[in-house]
Amino acid sequence: MFRYEILFLTVPEITKDESEAIKSHFVKVIRAHKGTLISFDRWGKYRLAYPVNKNDYGVYFLTRFDVEKEEKVQLLEALKEIFVFKFNTLITKHIVERLDENASLEYRRPDSLEDSPQDVDTFLKRHDMEGLLKKGPIRKTFENRERSQDSDSLDGEDLGDAKPEVRKAAFVGKDAKKQSETKNEENLDYDEEN
Amino acid sequence: MTKKIKLKISARLLKKKFRKKTALSKKQCRFTNNPDMIHDLNFKNAVLLSKFLTERGKILPSRISGNSNKYQRLVAQEIKKSRIMALLPFCATEY
Repeated sequence: MFRYEILFLTVPEITKDESEAIKSHFVKVIRAHKGTLISFDRWGKYRLAYPVNKNDYGVYFLTRFDVEKEEKVQLLEALKEIFVFKFNTLITKHIVERLDENASLEYRRPDSLEDSPQDVDTFLKRHDMEGLLKKGPIRKTFENRERSQDSDSLDGEDLGDAKPEVRKAAFVGKDAKKQSETKNEENLDYDEEN
Repeated sequence: MTKKIKLKISARLLKKKFRKKTALSKKQCRFTNNPDMIHDLNFKNAVLLSKFLTERGKILPSRISGNSNKYQRLVAQEIKKSRIMALLPFCATEY
């Protein structure tokens, strides 16, 4: 008894019917050679490390099956026909790997684009760029209440449709406020020392 | 005056000791101590393998990663497999 796994890469525009067609061919060939299919997993869409056939994205599939020793070579050749000739336009890359029979079938894979949430904050956290994250809500003390109200009124405006001149003005206004605050704090410090 | 001289000597000695420690400290292989981690060492697990690459996409030497000779060979094999499947880059550049 031999256990194999095949990982293959397809074009990103693959539909459900096409993937099922590949699977049905796969099952048919394995049954003809007296093997058993263990699993046929769709990993999902990924961004590739380098472009393959001018595609930046791709979809991975992982298959595992058992074969008897006598039919091993013939089955692998038959499967190669599927990958290389039959679905030539869909499948771009494939790799065959032999597994131990006693080893567990669990494995780890990188997160696909479909699984992972596409928020900016999670992306920054994952790539160790927490300095760029927005700071949390300001503590509501008596001193900070007035500031928070002012900042809320500025943030609430819809700056998307406004002209760039208006945007600049808003930023300048924020900076000026910050500067004024810092100046006030410095003055307070000096007063205390004096 | 005596206090000042003592301080100077101690600072120099401390620097010497620090240099010796950094030179002698050996890096430990992360696979020999954790047998569970060997199961994860696979060409499909590109997240773990990317820790053994430089920014440019080259394989890190074992004198920097601290792997033992046995596992350094395994890591290199798996990285080359996952490069073929476009999970890891041959040469990391923006495209």
